[in-house]
Amino acid sequence: MVLPFSGRKDGLSLSEALPDRSLFILVAMMSFLAALTLTGATGARALSARWAGGAAQLLTIQVSAPDQPAPSTAPNPSATSTAKQKSDAAAHQTRADAVLALLASLPDGTQTHKLSKEELAHLLTPWLGDASNSALPLPAVIEVRLPQGTEPPPDLEQTLNAQIPGTVVEHNAEWSTRLRALADSLLACAALALVTVGGIAAMITGLATRTGLSTRRDIIEILHGLGATDSYIAGRFAGRTGGLALGGGILGTLLAIAPLVLLFRMAAPFAVSSLQSTAITMPDWRTLPDILPKDLLIGLVALPVVAAFIGWATTQIMVRIWLRRMP
Amino acid sequence: MIRLQNVSWRRERKNGTPVLSNLTLTVPQGGFRWLLGPSGAGKTSLLSLLHVESLPSDGSLEILNKTVSVDTPRATLMRLRQRIGMVHQNYRLMPGLSVADNVALPLRLQHRPEDEITDEVQAILKWVGLGERVNVQASRLSGGEQQRTAIARAIVHRPGLILADEPTNALEEPQAHKLLDLFGELSSMGTTVIVATHNEALIRRLPRPSLYVERGRLVREDD
Repeated sequence: MVLPFSGRKDGLSLSEALPDRSLFILVAMMSFLAALTLTGATGARALSARWAGGAAQLLTIQVSAPDQPAPSTAPNPSATSTAKQKSDAAAHQTRADAVLALLASLPDGTQTHKLSKEELAHLLTPWLGDASNSALPLPAVIEVRLPQGTEPPPDLEQTLNAQIPGTVVEHNAEWSTRLRALADSLLACAALALVTVGGIAAMITGLATRTGLSTRRDIIEILHGLGATDSYIAGRFAGRTGGLALGGGILGTLLAIAPLVLLFRMAAPFAVSSLQSTAITMPDWRTLPDILPKDLLIGLVALPVVAAFIGWATTQIMVRIWLRRMP
Repeated sequence: MIRLQNVSWRRERKNGTPVLSNLTLTVPQGGFRWLLGPSGAGKTSLLSLLHVESLPSDGSLEILNKTVSVDTPRATLMRLRQRIGMVHQNYRLMPGLSVADNVALPLRLQHRPEDEITDEVQAILKWVGLGERVNVQASRLSGGEQQRTAIARAIVHRPGLILADEPTNALEEPQAHKLLDLFGELSSMGTTVIVATHNEALIRRLPRPSLYVERGRLVREDD
């Protein structure tokens, strides 16, 4: 004969002492906020890294009247015939080509890209409309990406101007420093927000646990009298809150994924260098796993686990402190 | 084995009036003692001390070969409590649990297998006459049934020490005699038993050594 045990094995009835709805929903909301904050932090960190490593290496060079012939250098009477041929070729160079030729002396690994007329027109469309038919004289724009760890020669603009007057060199380093400072402060704010969200989650769990403990005081006294250890009672409560926090964490993270994906989809074009592509279009949904940073994906997966751990650990500590006052 | 050497206990840690004073006694393993004395003499306090619900303020206390003091880790005290069966005056049952679940609690806390728990609980409930009441909630039991459930819970895990505070209060005479016979049998099998009571008839039925407590002091030990 099997005894008809009720299934409420130790009388704690934690589903009544710690009702699932309130804690579950509150943790879901906290996880939703944490997921959004995590995304902000990841974005700020990615921008910081990009500005630190990428944009600082980037030079933009404008060459006015790019299709005009480059000024010829004075003929050297002692030059050899081969040198003379080269000099003749240089005499037929446009100003833009001459700048490109001078840029060849930059360190190995330097990438240069002269924007085509179509690319330039596309960039100017927001300001000039269809710029391909504009009567305005447009300069040539050359993007130069220097290898990591190298800096452009300090006299680059002077050298270029001496050869091709009217050439403007814009270096992004100064902007990069300011933007990095901004990104770092955003990152600090995001970290603070995450700590705050975690703290609030711990407080909510602590309050729920305290309420549960006070409603089960008599039962806990009986269990203690029978030899239930602090670990057993704390484990029972922590298992319940940890489970609820895990469920709430999963729900909150899943709810946050839709706005996150939308934001990343909108922001994706800004993450693409004009050296790679100038097409400012929305990426396909199917490419999103490639667009979303790996560390963000790991963070989102870890979020419910962290929520569960916060719930579990908070309850363990609360219950053990509370039990210290028991005989 | 229980050994008390000049044990005192105060409700407050320091400077309070002792509820129990300078108790010195030894009960060998398998010994049976009646605990006697007027109301308020300290019988329940002494049982609480032996159940390690309170810890000695002074002196040394040894229960089931474990020295107990305020420095003993809580986990050790709880494991020791698992080896003690206690029948409280007010039963202390879980009102929301069935009779079977209440009785199964000490076994579940020891993580015994469920099939073993089922067998043990079934046997003990049959013995105390609650074989037909296994699935009834404890809150719906009569006083006598609650007391029998509490007794079943105290002995189901075969503890090394049984402490009982007026265990026959709500029992009819045949049940009370049956319980006494069981306590006597458990004692002869090596379980130490200490029973606090006012019932002279019970003592006459099972003549065993007695401890007389008065105003928190052990005033007499009769063989």
